[in-house]
Amino acid sequence: MPPNHPHIIRDFDESIRKLSESVISMGNQSRLNLQRAVEALIQRDIDRCKAVIADDSEIDEAERSVDAMGMDILLRFHPVARDLRLVISSMKAVASLERISDHAVNIAKRAKKMLSREEIREVRLIEPIYLMADELLRDALASFADRDSTTGRNLAVRDKELDRAHKRVVATLSQLLEEGGANSESYLHLILIVRSLERVGDLAVNVGEDAVFLDAAEDIRYAQRRYARESDDPDTDPAP
Amino acid sequence: MPREDFIAVDHFSFFYGPKQALYGIDMRIPERQVTALIGPSGCGKSTLLRNMNRMNDLIDGVRHQGDIRLNGNSLYDPKVEVISLRKRVGMVFQKYNPFAKSIYENVVFSLRVAGRNRKKELDEVVERSLRSAALWDEVKDRLHDSAFGLSGGQQQRLCIARAIANQPEILLMDEPCAALDPTATLKIEALIRELKEQFTIVIVTHNMEQATRCSDRTAFLYMGRLIEYGPTLEVFENPKQEETEAYISGRFS
Repeated sequence: MPPNHPHIIRDFDESIRKLSESVISMGNQSRLNLQRAVEALIQRDIDRCKAVIADDSEIDEAERSVDAMGMDILLRFHPVARDLRLVISSMKAVASLERISDHAVNIAKRAKKMLSREEIREVRLIEPIYLMADELLRDALASFADRDSTTGRNLAVRDKELDRAHKRVVATLSQLLEEGGANSESYLHLILIVRSLERVGDLAVNVGEDAVFLDAAEDIRYAQRRYARESDDPDTDPAP
Repeated sequence: MPREDFIAVDHFSFFYGPKQALYGIDMRIPERQVTALIGPSGCGKSTLLRNMNRMNDLIDGVRHQGDIRLNGNSLYDPKVEVISLRKRVGMVFQKYNPFAKSIYENVVFSLRVAGRNRKKELDEVVERSLRSAALWDEVKDRLHDSAFGLSGGQQQRLCIARAIANQPEILLMDEPCAALDPTATLKIEALIRELKEQFTIVIVTHNMEQATRCSDRTAFLYMGRLIEYGPTLEVFENPKQEETEAYISGRFS
């Protein structure tokens, strides 16, 4: 009797399906918000900045909705095994996805402030950092949707590449900031935008860890981060 | 040091005439823990429980292969007298079944049958057993009233007091809450958690939440076979066998 056999209570399968779809849908929306925020920064598009900021409330609502669905399933059906793990990991994953959207809003707000100043060519330094963060987020969502613990497990090590790239860009921008000049404020905004993208990578790792718990019932949170930290250079910042 | 194999089921098979009900069950049930037997109706869990007390002996045409040992001693050793075995193993059934006697006489029934009638000893046994069954405070002032005047939950706790009056080593419970309301059920479950300090408990239940609340280990049986046996939280969080997951998740037809 395989565990994917239909549940005796059809409502239960329907609730579980909706919950799972809502997490992925919210993840895709957060990913899109991040993409639009970075595009708004690079293309100097103030309307898109405003749209990202406005759309964040939808993400907040999606998080509340997933939490309510999870509570409802716990209360009505008392799930166990992978159903229980899905509810728990969904409620945890959406907290990370909501934070990712917050970082998109931070980027959009800083982009908006930068638009009132002269364009600086160092904005282009952001793009490779964004692409790395976005790939991590894409794969984290895929690992959750596909219950793929192998992909979820590998994210922490990949995130260290993002951390290293983040450090390099921050060093470059800090150098420019120390040199002073009219663009100092913009350099400071860029440093904090890179910092947001680095945090997106950390949060994608969290979603990957939730996927591992969902798929394999393993809690890898601290072991993963410790391994990634130990395999990196000693100057690396401790993982959050 | 509690024994890990207090009840040892060794490749135990059981037959009702030509029909085989259990197939080569191997289990080690630890001392002073609660072990839940779960599975769909007809899976053999009550048959296995009843064999731990040789309650199936009276049924015509039954036979077994393999062995069950209590604290190292075979239940099926020809020298074992069933009467003395029953002193080592208390049993509580689905439907509470107090005798048509007073609360006091229900508790001391097995002692009187054994010829033990000293009032001081009986009084001590009544108080100790009713306290262990979390019933003393509710009935201490009406010990000589009829047991039938108690609520359903109280009657079941009285049956538990009766089952432990002889200080058995093992307490077998066959769906002890099936006939009780939710509050009475929770009281029995709380009691089971307390009683495991003194007794090794094996409980048959259809109620999965009850198994998670009460038991330290869970065994899942299906069609007479032991499919999975392990710590309760592991079985319910991450079962190893697909059949177990299907059953506990409600995906079983």
